[in-house]
Order: sequence, then structure tokens, then C-alpha cells
Amino acid sequence: MRAYRPLALAAAGGLLLTACGGGDSVDTGGGGGGGGDNVLVAAVSAQPDQFDPHVTSAYPSFQVLENVYDTLVVPNAEDLTMEASLAESWETSEDGLTWTFALREGVTFHDGSEFDSADVVYSYNRIIDEELANSYRFANVTAVEADGPQSVVIRVSQPTPNLLSLIGAFKGMAILPEGAAEDLDLTTEANGTGPFQLESSDASSTVLTAYEDYWGGAPAIDGVEYRYITEPAAALTALENGEVQWTDNVPPQQVESLGENEDVELASTPSVDYWYMSMNYAREPFGNPQVRRAIATAIDREEVTEAARFEAARANQTAIPEDSFFYSDYAPFDADEDAARQLMEESGVTTPLTMGLMVTDEFPESVTAAQVIASQLEAIGITVEVEVLDFATWLDRQDQGDFDAFMLSWLGNIDPADFYEAQHITDGSSNYQGYSNPEVDRLLTEASTETDQDARKQLYDQAAKLIVDDVSYLYLYNPDVVQAWVPGLEGYRIRADRAINFEEVELP
Amino acid sequence: MTAEPVPLRPVRPRWRETLGLLVRNKVALGAALVLLAIIVVAVFDRAFAPQSANAQDIADRLQAPSWSHPFGTDNLGRDILSRVIIGASVSLKVGFLSVGLALVVGTLLGLLAGYYGGWVDDVLMRLMDMLFAFPAVLLAIAILAIRGPGTSNTIIAIAVVYVPIFARVTRASVLGVREEVYVRASRSVGASDFRLLTRHVLPNAAPPIIVQTSVSLAFAVLAEAALSFLGLGTQPPNPSWGLMLAEGREFIGLAWWLAFFPGMAIVVTVLCFNLLGDGLRDVLDPRQRTLMAGGGR
Repeated sequence: MRAYRPLALAAAGGLLLTACGGGDSVDTGGGGGGGGDNVLVAAVSAQPDQFDPHVTSAYPSFQVLENVYDTLVVPNAEDLTMEASLAESWETSEDGLTWTFALREGVTFHDGSEFDSADVVYSYNRIIDEELANSYRFANVTAVEADGPQSVVIRVSQPTPNLLSLIGAFKGMAILPEGAAEDLDLTTEANGTGPFQLESSDASSTVLTAYEDYWGGAPAIDGVEYRYITEPAAALTALENGEVQWTDNVPPQQVESLGENEDVELASTPSVDYWYMSMNYAREPFGNPQVRRAIATAIDREEVTEAARFEAARANQTAIPEDSFFYSDYAPFDADEDAARQLMEESGVTTPLTMGLMVTDEFPESVTAAQVIASQLEAIGITVEVEVLDFATWLDRQDQGDFDAFMLSWLGNIDPADFYEAQHITDGSSNYQGYSNPEVDRLLTEASTETDQDARKQLYDQAAKLIVDDVSYLYLYNPDVVQAWVPGLEGYRIRADRAINFEEVELP
Repeated sequence: MTAEPVPLRPVRPRWRETLGLLVRNKVALGAALVLLAIIVVAVFDRAFAPQSANAQDIADRLQAPSWSHPFGTDNLGRDILSRVIIGASVSLKVGFLSVGLALVVGTLLGLLAGYYGGWVDDVLMRLMDMLFAFPAVLLAIAILAIRGPGTSNTIIAIAVVYVPIFARVTRASVLGVREEVYVRASRSVGASDFRLLTRHVLPNAAPPIIVQTSVSLAFAVLAEAALSFLGLGTQPPNPSWGLMLAEGREFIGLAWWLAFFPGMAIVVTVLCFNLLGDGLRDVLDPRQRTLMAGGGR
């Protein structure tokens, strides 16, 4: 999942607020408005851009869709390994080319219709045929077929050990009822099999109601109201006043003081997200590996992490966080100014030189981090011009390759292929920097079909080492997920993949 | 006005008389002195600032105001006093340059439109009306969205926004002056348009323009702060009051001083420009002027 996209909207909202003197921020629906005492009110930072799970790439949309749709398999809340959901069990053929999923019986969609294999075939073929955002996840898939109403067969062109996480990592792979795209306006309507149904959504909130016939048992609460509160300070105040019962809009600098606040239950967990900086190989001198290594050596990741996230992150020189099985313990750069200056000299590039660093005000932590990086690179004769852009412009310039360097994050990746493939393989769909190393290509391709976990980890370790040494991405840190709720809220679990699931929540 | 043998002018030149009247207005004088102080600080910013504006010290961040950091430190451990001082030069530079640009272009257009009338007037003033139809900040945002953020583009954007105001004020003033007896007399002896405009029309049409300049400076400082607050003006890590306000907003619950001091700097500067503008209006208005000069004729 790409860092949240629709935030251009959020920026416009912020702008309006400023123009109106901030008074409008009160307009969040009033206290308790949402209907019934047993409704969870959650403060989120932005409005969903749309509700079509196959099309959107926006995190605010997935915050809602997580509770509305199901996938064949889902990540376990604890360690993100895949477990049964709409598929009860599955098996792989000897050659690894055929996967057969046995579907759960007695599952109904919110409109009452029965769930069966035709819905799975329809949903997957929609993603493949219309080449939607996630179609790359089916790159190896040659056919999706129904084998009777309760069984689905997925055929792949080569062994695909990570197929489960490809089809289950997030609700972008949701199962829609057959013909949903024709029968419904999926951007505003939803018909899933999840614990909640989409009731309404407008410019101030999105409301879900419990689905009584949910296959996993009806939720304990009657519904969820998502209120959009852009300002973290306002979200926290609303939580302390009891206007909302849950929020993920907690600024990292507040974590310490909130820990002592008795009106708030604070939780944080290392996430699978990572922040990185990337340099444009097509722009000299950043195509020079020596220069990139000098920059990687000059940057003090601990300091960047501390400035941007306070305590709520861990510096990392690779992408995959420490808790993961695929974590690769490789950290060749040690924030050494002199060594960096020497590397610069050896590169033969004359300093001072200027580097534009593109960040977006959508993520204030990137603006902070960029300023720290600017001050660190000044020491080796690189003048960093921080360019703060709105996210739409930012994405546009990234697409066109119109940058010296940029900073952004990747969210919610689970399988190592998601961490490395699209970003670093030659001509990968997210390889905006223009990295190309045949050895990395070979390792990543081999790893994607390797079925033995340990051998697979070895391959990714080797690839990661080359990626870090070549500074394809300059990895910075893995942020923590920080969320807060009212004391006494039961059944909610904070997750490393940032999926927000209210299925088992009970209000105090 | 230009007769040589008999001194038709008052003994004291007009500007000195104006200054004398202004000095008697205590509020305007106070505002002018404060502004002067701010300008001196802004011009010699590096000498006044205790530290470099961008010197970071993460270990020393979010420190409350103290002797070593009178205004405290921000989230990157930068000295806020130094940033406010160096931010002053940014704010004033943008203010003076943008208003100066708007003044030159707007006055020229207003002069031409008012003096020549006819189709010149129609074309120029309809163009100005079009620009006027946009809310000021919205127009500036649109210009910055097209040209990209940055200090020089901010200057251009604010200048474009204020050109119509100067054009209108100048034109209205010129319309009143151009039919005056001395202008007609000068024209009748064959003075060129250029001479007429520069020696007779402009000097006599100037007072409202001067007042408008002072008031516009206040708005320009405010506009720069607003645009930087929105991330379109001065780019980090360089300090600007508006940008510091935006950065401080995130920490308002933890460290009030991040937003308070740059906010105060904006308030004081804008207030002073407005008070000075009020004082200037009083002394430059012919009727008020006579009253204040104690003539009472």
C-alpha cells in the first residue's frame, strides 16, 4: 500500500479551516451524534476518497473498508501470518502451480445474498481484467476458476510462495458480490461480507452499522462513526472529553505526556512501515554511487528519527523492521562526517553542490526530517533545498522523474516481495529512482519463487545488502503505530500493519 | 509650482511640514519608531541574532524561554529569538519589494488611465477590475500554485495582488488633479505630457498613494505570513514568521513559545504599519491638515 493518497483533499480542508478562522473545526457532528449509546466514535485524520476497495489506494478508505469487506485469507493480528477468513482451508499441488481454496459456508453479503465461488472469480478477474491498482499482485496468476460453489482454484505460472499474502494482505483484495461494479456505485456504496455495513458518508463523518448476520458473529457494538479531525490536538481533546472513544491521530511528540494521562489509554507498536529517501540516478551527480554512499554516511539516522518521531520509531538501514522474520541485520553506514567528506572527495565531484529534496506537507514529519538531513549534508558541502509540495504535485513530479531526491514512506507491507520488488527491480513500477542492478534483479526474481522460507530469507538478505550498498533507497526508520482510546474499551488490538478492526470491540 | 523668481512655495518644504505634523501625532510617531527599530534589526539581522537561524541541536529542543534562549528553542533545538530576527528580514524584504513593485506598476497604470482617459482608461481599468474580482489571498495562492513556492515568487504574487489597488487609488486621485487650473495653465504654455505628469499631476496626486503604501505594507507582511503558513512562501528550514507559526502549531499543547513569539512579531509589525498609515492619512488629508496645523481658516 502506497502512502495515503487523497490527502490533497485533507490539505484543502485545512486551508478552508484557516481561512474561516478555525471555527469550523467544531462542526464534527456534535457530541454523541451518531445514534445510540453503543456506537464507537473514532477520530481519524482524513476523509476516505472513495469506497471501491479495488481502486482506492488511500489509507483513510481502508480504515473503513477493513470493517466492511473480507478477503479469502487475513493477516493474523499478532504476527501477520495468513490465516483463514472467507477461505476455510487451502492446499497447494505438488508442483506448486495450483492452489485450491475451500470456501466458508453460510456467509452472506450485507444485502442478504449468499457468498460463493462465483464472487471470488468475479472479484479477482475484475482486478486482473481492468488492470486495477493491485493487478500486479496477480502477475503470476494464469487463471482463477470456480470448482463448484464452495471451491476456487488459482493457477499460477510459477511457484508463488507468497500467494496468501498477495491475496490477503489488505482489503484492496476484497471479495465483492458478483456484478457489484455494475449493480452499485462502488465509490459511494458497499456490499461486503464484513462485520459492519456502510450506512452513510459525508464531509464530516462515515457511519457503519453492525451486520447482524456476520459469519463470525454479530459485533458487540451497534456501529462505528468515523469523524474526520485533521488537527491532532483537536482529536486528542475530543478523546479526553469523551466525545470520541478511539483515535489514531496522535502526534509522536505527545506520546510521552499521554502515557501519564489517566483519561487516555495509549498503545504503540512497531509497524511494518518505513521512511526512506531516494535519489534520482538520472540527475548528476546523484547517479554516482560514491556520492550516494557519501550522503548515506553523512546522515545520522538516529538524529533524524529522534527529530521526526521523538521516541516513536526505530532507525533502520534496511526496509524490514526488526521484529520481522525477514529482518536483515545489515547497517554499513555509521553517521561519520569525516568518512563522508572523504567519500565525496574520492568521488571527484566538486562541492558545494545543491540537491533539491522533495517532501510533502501531507506528512509533517517528512518536512522535519528533511530539515535535519539538510543540516547534516551541509557539513559535507551539499546544500539541500527542501521543497515542500502538496501531495498531488509531489506525486506528479515523482512520476515524471522531476526531482533530485525525495522522501516518502511505504505502509502496510507484509511480504518481503512487497518491500523490495516494485521498488528496486529494473523498471519496477515504483522504481522512480532508476535503479538497475542485474544481480538484484536475479536475486529478487529467484526469491519470489523460492518456497523454502529460510532459503527465501537468504535471497532477500543478499538483495537487501546490495540495495543498501548501492543506496537505491536510503532507508531511515520504521515508525511505530500510535493509537489511543478511552480506558475500558475492550477487544481492540493495535496492529503492525495499521489495519483497524473494530469487529470485537466492546465499549466501556 | 515651478515659478522661479517669486517663491510661491511655502518657506518650509511640504515634506518637512508633513513630517512636523506627523511627529505631533504621538501614536503614529511611536509606530514609526518601532518600525524603524524593526527595520534596523532586519537589516542587521545577522549581527543581532545570537545564533544562526538554522543551527540545530536536537538534544536541546523544546526548551522554554531562558537566559540562554530568551524565546526558547523549537522542535529541532533552534533558537527562536534568532529565527524571529532573521525572519523579520524575510518578512520585511517580501513586504517592501512586493509593495514597491505594486506601487511602481500600479501607479504607472493609474496615471495613464486617469490622465489619458478614453479607451486607455477602459482597457486598463477593466483589466484591474478583473484582478480585483479575486479574493486577494486566493489570487496569490493561484499564482504560487502556477509558479511554485519560494520567496521571489511570493513577492511577485503579492505584488500582482496589490497592483489594482494602487492603480485605482492613483487614477481616482489623478482624475481630481488633471483639471486643476495649474495643470491646464501648464498645458496651455505647451508643457509635454511627460513634464505635466511628473511635475504636476503625480506630486499632487501622491498623498492617497502614500497612505495606501503604508496600509499595503501591513497587508503584505500579513499575506507573506499567510502564504508561508500554508507552505507556499518561504521554504523550510529558512525562517519566516508565518512558517514558524505553522510549525509551532503542532506543538502548541507542549510548547507555547514556538508559535507565540513569531505570532507577536506579526501582530506588532502589522499594527505599526496600520497606525503609521492612519497617522499619514490624517496629516496628508488637506482638510485635516489645515486643522492640525492650527490654521483654522
